[in-house]
Amino acid sequence: MTASLPPEIHRAIKVGASTACLAEIRRFVEEVGVEVALDLERIFDLKVAVSEACANAVEHAGCDAMSLDVCARLQARRLTFTVTDTGLFRPPSPRWDRVSSRGLGLPLMVALMDEVTFVRTPGGGTAVSLSVLLDRDMSPPA
Amino acid sequence: MASLKGVPLLELQGDIDHSNCGAVETALSEILNDGAQVVLLDFSRVTYLDSGGICVLLSGCRRARDSGWLGVIDPNQNVRRLLEIVGLLVDPGFRVFDDRPAAEAALSGALSQEEET
Repeated sequence: MTASLPPEIHRAIKVGASTACLAEIRRFVEEVGVEVALDLERIFDLKVAVSEACANAVEHAGCDAMSLDVCARLQARRLTFTVTDTGLFRPPSPRWDRVSSRGLGLPLMVALMDEVTFVRTPGGGTAVSLSVLLDRDMSPPA
Repeated sequence: MASLKGVPLLELQGDIDHSNCGAVETALSEILNDGAQVVLLDFSRVTYLDSGGICVLLSGCRRARDSGWLGVIDPNQNVRRLLEIVGLLVDPGFRVFDDRPAAEAALSGALSQEEET
C-alpha cells in the first residue's frame, strides 16, 4: 500500500482573507489528505489545525481585500500545510482574547499536529506551518 | 424552538466554524437570557467544529454552570475528541449524551431529584 503513495506532492491555493473561505480551505485539506491516504481522523485534525491558522491569519489581515496562501507539501513522509498571510503581525491582546476564540486556536493546533512552527515573513506577514508525520501511527513492517 | 421534556433543544447541522458560530452564539444566548437552566444541543448532524464553535460552547457552559448545564447530543467521534482536548468533557457545566433517549433519561433523573428535595 505505502509504495503506491506519491513520494512527493506540492499543492497550493490562494483564497480571500475571510472566514467565508474556511470551508474552501477545508475542502483543499481534505483532498490532499485523501490523496496521501491519511485516515479520516488525521484528516479531521488537519482540517481543524489549518482552519485555525487561517482564522488567525484573517484576524491579522483585518480586511477581506487581503489573501491567504495555503500550501501543502509532502516530503520525506512528512505532510506540511503552510498558511501565509500578508497582514501586519499583531501580538495577542488579552482584552481581545477574552471575547474571541483566538486563545483556543493555538492550543488546538499544538494538540492536533506533530509539529507547529511560526515564522515572521520579510513583508511583515506570518507563516504558520502544520505538520503530520505519515509514519507516526503505522505498525512496523512484518 | 424544539424541546425535549420541556428543555430547549437547538438542532444544529453541517460545519460550525468561525464564519457561522455567531448565529449559534446568538441562539444559545437568547435561550439562556430567557432563563433556561439546561440547554440541549443536538450535534448528530454536525460534521465539523472549530475553536469558534468550541468558544460558544465554553461561554454557554460558563453561564449555565451555576444553576444548570449544557448538554450535547451525539457528537461524532472527531468532534467529541476536540471537546475532550479543550476540557469540556470534565466540566461540571457540560454533558455529552450518546443519543436523545440518554438525554431524556438524564433529564428525568434531574427532575425526579428536584421533586425529592
